[in-house]
Amino acid sequence: MDAMALPVDVREIYRYLGYRGNPPTAEVAERVDSCLLQLRKASTPAATHRFLPLASPEENVLLAGEIKIHSKNLYKNMKGCSACCLFAATIGIGCDRLIRRAQLTSMADAAILQAAGAALIESLCDEINRQVIEEAKAKGLFARPRFSPGYGDFSIQHQKDFEQVLQMAKNCGIHLTDSLLMMPSKSVTAIIGLSATDTPCILQGCETCDHAPNCAFRR
Amino acid sequence: MRKPFLQRLGHEWLFCDGATGTVLQAKGLKGGELPETWNLTRPDDIYDLYCGYLKAGSDIINANTFGANLLKYPDPGYLKDLVTAAVQIAKKARTDCGREDAYIAIDIGPTGKLLEPLGDLPFEKAVSLFGQVAELGEAAGADLCLIETMNDLYEAKAAVLGAKEHCSLPVCITTTYDQSGKLLTGAGVEAVVACMEGLRVDALGVNCSLGPREMKPIVERLVAAASVPVIVNPNAGLPRTENGETVYDVTPEEFADCMKELAGLGIQVAGGCCGTTPEFIQKTIAAVRDLPFRPQTQKHHTIVTSFSQAVEIGEKPVLIGERINPTGKKKFKEALRNGDIQYILQEGLKEEDQGAHILDVNVGLPEIDEPAMMETVVKRLQGVTALPLQIDTTNPEALERALRCYNGKPMINSVSGKRESIEQVFPLVRKYGGVLVGLCLDEGGIPDTAEGRLAVAEKIYEAADAYGVPRSDIVLDGLAMTVSSDPKGALVTLGTLRGIRDRFHGHSILGVSNISFGLPARELINSNFLTMAIECGLSCAIINPGNEAMMRAYYASMALLAMDENCAAFIDRYRDYKPGTAAAPGVSAAKGSTASPAGDLSLKESVIRGVKEAAAAAARKELESRDGLTIINEDLIPALDVVGQNFEKKTVFLPQLLMSADAAKAAFAVIREAMKGTPQKIKAKVILATVKGDIHDIGKNIVKVMLENYGYDVIDLGRDVDPQLVADTAIRENVPLVGLSALMTTTVVNMEATIRLLREKKPDTKIVVGGAVMTQEYADAIGADCYAKDAMGTVRYADSLFDRD
Repeated sequence: MDAMALPVDVREIYRYLGYRGNPPTAEVAERVDSCLLQLRKASTPAATHRFLPLASPEENVLLAGEIKIHSKNLYKNMKGCSACCLFAATIGIGCDRLIRRAQLTSMADAAILQAAGAALIESLCDEINRQVIEEAKAKGLFARPRFSPGYGDFSIQHQKDFEQVLQMAKNCGIHLTDSLLMMPSKSVTAIIGLSATDTPCILQGCETCDHAPNCAFRR
Repeated sequence: MRKPFLQRLGHEWLFCDGATGTVLQAKGLKGGELPETWNLTRPDDIYDLYCGYLKAGSDIINANTFGANLLKYPDPGYLKDLVTAAVQIAKKARTDCGREDAYIAIDIGPTGKLLEPLGDLPFEKAVSLFGQVAELGEAAGADLCLIETMNDLYEAKAAVLGAKEHCSLPVCITTTYDQSGKLLTGAGVEAVVACMEGLRVDALGVNCSLGPREMKPIVERLVAAASVPVIVNPNAGLPRTENGETVYDVTPEEFADCMKELAGLGIQVAGGCCGTTPEFIQKTIAAVRDLPFRPQTQKHHTIVTSFSQAVEIGEKPVLIGERINPTGKKKFKEALRNGDIQYILQEGLKEEDQGAHILDVNVGLPEIDEPAMMETVVKRLQGVTALPLQIDTTNPEALERALRCYNGKPMINSVSGKRESIEQVFPLVRKYGGVLVGLCLDEGGIPDTAEGRLAVAEKIYEAADAYGVPRSDIVLDGLAMTVSSDPKGALVTLGTLRGIRDRFHGHSILGVSNISFGLPARELINSNFLTMAIECGLSCAIINPGNEAMMRAYYASMALLAMDENCAAFIDRYRDYKPGTAAAPGVSAAKGSTASPAGDLSLKESVIRGVKEAAAAAARKELESRDGLTIINEDLIPALDVVGQNFEKKTVFLPQLLMSADAAKAAFAVIREAMKGTPQKIKAKVILATVKGDIHDIGKNIVKVMLENYGYDVIDLGRDVDPQLVADTAIRENVPLVGLSALMTTTVVNMEATIRLLREKKPDTKIVVGGAVMTQEYADAIGADCYAKDAMGTVRYADSLFDRD
């Protein structure tokens, strides 16, 4: 995966910066472009994924391989699924280093790099998601929207399960802190439900999240 | 009987074993199950694992201890049992298989945690985690430590140090590279080799991640760079998942063929990693055993590294930035006394942008705790710059603390020919590694002839031999003495440089600007002297890279002395050169310039538009006609207010708010400098902290910049801050306002705990909270006085308390 080739919608960067559709000034646009380029050069994208069988022993409980998950939101998302795919992706530690440095030279650059990093990791996740959809299709399965620990009532404690199943530290360099934050900070773990029947129009993103009403970054 | 390991390592072919995990999985180990538990629960399977490799011919077998550390097994008694059992079963297997000649390695893998500052595992904690396993392994009877699969240079260093400090076994290490030949955190093969050889490992190499075919370019680089034996343990090809299982495609025959080719490149130890089994090893041994064996040769490279970059000394002159040094710098001294680390870091980053290759770090000041300051500055600096550092101190404790926590192989400034200096410095260099600057002076003072200085140089080289430090790790300082007091001073120095080059084929270094003490127009003397010195073989120039005269002399010398191919670097830098200009090229159009010309912006305009350079320049201009306080009150504060209000009205957004803040900060700095001595008005002291468990601090830092611009004295406690520290600081400094930030719902509990403690210990202090997950309801629920939804919100709340006029 080449960070230079990942498509990034700059409008996403402005959304993370709180623009809500307003146009940036020429000064800001120039800074955003140069930060994004710097970030791409410093990024080392990596990802890993694994398919697991999925069962639902009781309501609001899921069993992904041997991982037991209690979550109403995820249960709803996964209804009718017989398998799932766990993935982890990161744009690498370079982004964190750039941000640390920028905080000493320009806070504006630091904030922009932060937003650009968020956009870049989302783009990488979309890329991985597409791959998973393709692989699932080959198995005759259809993919649901991806869902991450910490999202809705899907507990962040499950990061440990992701580490165990995906060997994230070894396979893509994602390390968990004691408080279960991921390092590099621009990393994502997610589970994708797979079912034998295509279910169109499943709500995704902010619409399914309980935190949405209070979230500064909702779409 | 078994020969000592080091009598065979590097003198004949040795073969490692293959995968442990692959074999155990075939025996039923489940994904996620901890393999080391089998040492106690299924010892027969572990015995079979060892026997398989011993019978295949492995000379070194790994005890099943890869993940055995206190992080994964918190009970020390249990950990000891696991490690002891692993080694005891191996010994039994060795005897039963009639392989008493074979060696048992205590196998040490990564912790799975990322080290500080990027992660949350402290370096010394890592050292002791690794040391513990090594110690247990030695006690159980292992023959060597094999550290493997390391993908971060800092963790690799912690592992080697831990092993060496806690046991007396030979220590070997293999690291894991990606296809471009880099570790996960960025170090290339040459940097890893330099750093590990500096730590005096007995052998080094590569394992895991890649198959033997993909490893070839890495093995070539390893063999070219290393002076110690090279170990190569590839996977059975690139991993691939099939039905949820990891599989490898290379067959034992193909593997052996590839290993034969790699062996021919000049490696000394071969084996396998994930996906390889006894069959792979057996076939590899058959293919390699009868090839001619070539020991590694001494390479005599002189390399310093950061966590990622390797800088070679000797190819062409290297520039060492001299600005991180209090000598003759009032502001820098003040920063050291006040613990203003940020200022020191910014000086370093400036030098990096100006083109330094290495940064000299000197924080010696009689009234400060130099060892503590040195450690802090080195740790912080290596977190923000990728340039290697030169540890510059005469304090042995400061030197050791810096060498210990340094992430890479540093340069060390310095040792002299004095016996006391030699006895203090060389043992540290022997232990931690580093390229050492040797000053050509001794008990007799500074010799006034080149011949005299070269005699001291000879003495330093001999000391290096005696302490087991390679001569290639010595760089000799020819000593630049001021020509204003000794007319022949420069000639002697230049003669010394020539001698170092021609007689010793050695490397040299000079603090160039010493030559001009006491003279006017020093840069004229300095830059001409630099040119001469380079012509006489100077390898490292300690200079101020911000001085354009010096940079011109450097680039011109490179072009003249055939060290700049096609004069490319010179042309690149001076393409638009205009005679008579003094500024560095490209600086006027520096980063942060804007889409429209920023030439004549007023101070107010420059702040509103967020043009940093223009704001500083405008402030300087204003100071010619008005006093500082007036400028602050009439221009700066109103400009900030315009931007702040527009931010609240949502016509200005975060980047612009911060660009304005950066610009205002630059202007403030200029004005404060001019107002020195006048007492500054501070509205109030404010503590800022990101709560315990949370390591994301950009939001807090944004608030800090804003508060400082609005006249607050911010005490920044950083991230992952313990509640007790917040309370203690609030009491000690009598702080009326505390700002807390949290990013995750999981860390809000720690925010609540901090508030509870503050209420109990210092009830009159107000508390404002913010962060991605914060809401008004949350803030109310945990008892904060205010919820600020952004940085301006915090400023407004603070002003409502402390700026009521």
